[in-house]
Formats: sequence, structure tokens, C-alpha cells
Amino acid sequence: MSPDTTGVLPREGVEVGGVRAALLRTRAGRGEHVYTVVRWGGAGLFAVVVVALLISIAGSSGQALTHAGVGFLWSGTWNPAAGEYGAGILVVGTLLTTAVAMVIVVPIGLGTAAFLSELAPRWLAGPLSTLVGLLAAVPSIVVGLWGLIVLTPIFANQVEPFLASVPALGWLFRGEAYGPSILLASVVLAVMTLPTMVALSRTALAAVPVADREAALALGATRWQAVRRAVIPAARSGIQAAVTLAVGRAMGESIAVAMVIGNRPAIPSSLTAPGATLGSAIVNQFAEATPGIGTSSVIALGAVLLLLTVAVNAGGQALLRSGGGHRGGTAGALR
Amino acid sequence: MSVVSAVSRRELVRAAAQRSLTRRRVTGRIAQALCAVAALAAVAPLVALLYYTISRGAQVLSWSFLVNAPTPPGIPGGGISTAITGTAEIVGLALVIAIPTALLAALFLFERSGRLAAVLRFSADVLTGVPSIIIGIFAYALLVLPLHAFSDLAAAFALAVLMLPIMIRADEEAMRTIALDLWEAGIALGARRGRVARSVVLRGALPDLVTGNLLAIARAVGETAPLLFTLATPLAAMTLLIYTDGTQAFPIAQETAWGTALVLLAFVLLLSVAAKIAAWRISRRAR
Repeated sequence: MSPDTTGVLPREGVEVGGVRAALLRTRAGRGEHVYTVVRWGGAGLFAVVVVALLISIAGSSGQALTHAGVGFLWSGTWNPAAGEYGAGILVVGTLLTTAVAMVIVVPIGLGTAAFLSELAPRWLAGPLSTLVGLLAAVPSIVVGLWGLIVLTPIFANQVEPFLASVPALGWLFRGEAYGPSILLASVVLAVMTLPTMVALSRTALAAVPVADREAALALGATRWQAVRRAVIPAARSGIQAAVTLAVGRAMGESIAVAMVIGNRPAIPSSLTAPGATLGSAIVNQFAEATPGIGTSSVIALGAVLLLLTVAVNAGGQALLRSGGGHRGGTAGALR
Repeated sequence: MSVVSAVSRRELVRAAAQRSLTRRRVTGRIAQALCAVAALAAVAPLVALLYYTISRGAQVLSWSFLVNAPTPPGIPGGGISTAITGTAEIVGLALVIAIPTALLAALFLFERSGRLAAVLRFSADVLTGVPSIIIGIFAYALLVLPLHAFSDLAAAFALAVLMLPIMIRADEEAMRTIALDLWEAGIALGARRGRVARSVVLRGALPDLVTGNLLAIARAVGETAPLLFTLATPLAAMTLLIYTDGTQAFPIAQETAWGTALVLLAFVLLLSVAAKIAAWRISRRAR
């Protein structure tokens, strides 16, 4: 990017020529007013929407927060019948399902990305990448339906009893195998976020210059060592952004999780026990909420979820921007 | 003696190098095999899901399923026509709001540099990651609660808010693909900026704009959560119908859910394939 000598900041990624810079400083002619007004109108409308969203979510959860106080955030009881509202258990459920889903998604997604970008023969990598890209478009409700009708009986009868019998790890999965559970919800979230994770990290890997691989090979590295020691570290920021995005999506998914998690707002005794997340609780409690304090409390759950996801996404954006050279590739794939 | 030791030292080095190479090759083989297994583990459930939806849905799918209105439970011959037209109406209405707004906001970002543009860009990026259920709550608090009425308009508004940030960023990226020379040439010819935006920027970026907007539409079509808070009846949108029928224990309701899921899937995949084709035509033209 050329140094800014004109006093007009260069736009990201584009060389600002002298002519353009001069034009940007000149006042628009009379005939330009319409164009200026509609441009500002579009941007202004979007800004109004963003501000209105923040204000209305905060405003509508106000009643719940004055009722329960700041303790709403960590209070562990969600019992509308007794007038007790707290987000604590649901936050735990949200973080737990997201964490378990990421334990599945990160290694499998990264392995798949490395396979597609670095290791697989071209005839296989091309169609597989297209397939994964198409699968990213599958609506989450369809994944939820599949989880509910197909996976639930399989989990209740085979997967959960098997996991409970695994030595050393069995305690994670002990207890009655119902089917709907934290584990099943995490698996559904994993299936849902995998295509995005694969597509983004594959793009990040592919954006690493070929010279990096050649240099590693020339030093005597095997193919795998080149991938492990040269390519993956160079693509780190893109991979981190992919994980962040997957985390954000997993935390925010509501309908599909509500279909398979069993919806019991209590501390789960194991991963095979039913639970609830912020999103699933909003879906389930909303229709039954008593007008006023009940509705406000459900909206306050949304406010907590909004805070969590915005924090994660803002972190992801910061990572992407700090990524420097590989930004183009990942930013393109993020769309 | 020195000759002998040099030879044996060379042997030692060679043996060590051989061991290292063997170890690294074995590790590499194992790791590569694990990556292939990961790829299989990633693709298998997705293909199973696709296959299951198609085979279950195909059993239900028929012409009358598509064009008949839903019947009360127990009465055969019902279809999902209201859900299909409902989704089309809501998404169509949302597009009328979102496409022009996004285009203008993207032109704003394209023409302007500085802090204001950076803040807007950042808001769009963050809003893209906001869960759709929160956008549903927003539409509920803004339109449903004050008016005391669930409505298509509220649902369309929710979907428009959902699509806006995605479209703005996609539109801006599309405009960035236009060579700056062309923009300057337009201005140098004495054209007004609005004219250049229309004839050079928008026209040149058109295929990219189409791709980006199609992908955003595909996402909106498949959304459920925003509709849950804004529509009065599940019969008014495909995704909502899948949710309510799929969670019922009656086999007939589940069949409807699978049939609807297949129609929805076909719709969404068609949109993303169309987007892929548009993108492919661009890359071919660029060469």
C-alpha cells in the first residue's frame, strides 16, 4: 500500500491513486446530491438497525434484570413456576455443548482440511471439496430433524451404552441412556459446523505460498512434516478464525439443539444426561412465558447469548485482521 | 587406522540418517492415514444425512403434496402449498428490503474511507455472527409486541436483518474487484459519481453481486428461529413446518416433515449451485 501523502486514508487493500484522492476531497457537484443521499440512506438504515437491535434487546430484558438483579447472569435456577429466573445453568449448558462439539470438530475438521488441501490426489480433493461446500448450505433444521429421528434411537440403544462401558472414560457417559442428551446435541452441532470449519481452514491452508512447502521439502522434510511444520503454522490465524466462527455458530444454534438436548435446565450428571442451552431454553420457554416478567426473562437469555457470541466473533475478527498476509483468502471464504 | 575410523563413522551416520528417515516416513504415513480417516468421518455423516432426507422425503413427495393445502390431522391428501408460498412470500418481501439497502450501504463503504466506514464494516462483520434467534427476538420486540400481532411483515423484517450484513460485505467485496482505473476513467470522462457507480461499478461487479446475494438468500430460506417469534402459524413457512411436525410423535406428521425437508433442501442446494455457477462463470471470464 502506498504511503498516504494526500491526507486521504487509503482504503483497505486498494491502491488509492492521485486522481481518486483529489476527487475524494472535492465537494460533490449539485447533480451528485441524489447519489450522496441514497448512499448515506443505505448506510444510515443499516446503522439504525444495528442500534435498534441493541437497544430493543437491552430494553426488553430490563424488567428481568431489575427483578433478578445482576445475579441473573449466574443464578442457577430457572423455574418460571416459582418466579425464579437465572441464566447460570443455561450458560453452563451452552459452553459445555459447544466445547464437546469442538472436541469433535477441530481435529476432524483440521484433518479433513489438510487431507483436501495437501494430501489427497486432485481427482478426489476437487469433488470432495465441492461436496463439503454444498453441505455447508444444508439448513440447520434439517440436521436437527435427522438428529431427532435417526440419531436419537441409535444413541439411546447403541452409542451411549457403548461409551458408558469404555474403561477410564465411562464415567463421562454414565447414567440412563435416554437418547436426547448433551452428547447428542454436541454431535448434531458438530455435524452442522464441520463443513464451515473444513471450508475455512482448507482455504487458509491453500493460501500458504507453495514456496513454503518447497523449502521444507528441500530441507529433507517428509510430506507430512512439511504440512505439520510449515503449512499449518503459516495458516494459523486463518485456522483460528475458522474455529472461532464454528464456536460462534455452535453457541448460537437454537432450534436444532432444542430438538435433541432433552431440555432439562439442571446441572447434567454426565454427558449422556439431558440438559439445556441458552438457545434451546429460549425456543422452549418463549411460547409458555408469562407476559411481562416471563417474556422479559426469556429475552434476557437472548441478551446473555448475544454478549457471548459478540465477544467470540469480535475476537475472531481481531484474529483475522492480525493475520496479515493470508487475510484475503480467509476473508473471501468467510462470506 | 584413520581411514578405517572414517569409514565406520560414515556408516554410523548413514545408519542414523536411515533410522531417522524411516521413523519420519512411518509417522508421516500414520498421520496421512489419520487425515484420510478424518475426511471420511467428516463426509460420512453428511452424506448419510443427505441420503436419508432424500429417501424419506421421496416417499412422501408427489404433485399433490406440493400443490395441496394442508388438511387437519387425520384427513389424508394434505400438502404443504401454504408453507412453500409462505416461505416464498416472506423471503421475497425480505429481499425487497435487504437487496437495495445492502447495495447502497456497500456503495457507501466503497466510496468512503475512514473511521465511520470501518465502524460500519466491523458492525456488519459482527452482526453476521449474531445468532438468528436473537434477530427473531429483535423483530418480536420491535414489531410483534407493540402491534399485538404476528405477521409476515415481521418475519420478512427478521430475515432482512439477517441477510443485510452478509449482503453488505459480499456486495462490497464484489465492488472491490473492479479495477480502480475503470472508476477513474469514468470520472475522467466527466461522468458524475452516481453515473460511474451505476455504469462501471455495479455493472462490472454484477456476476459477483449475484453470487453473494444468492448465498445470502440460501441462508435466509433455511432459517427457522427468526420465524418462530414472528409467524402466527407453522403452516406459513417450510422450516417452521418441519420443526412443528418433526417434533410430533405421529408418523404422518413426521412424513410431512421429511417431505418438506426434501423440498427445502432442494431449494437451498439449487440456490447455492446457482451461486457456484455464477462464480465459475466469473473466474472463466477473468482468464
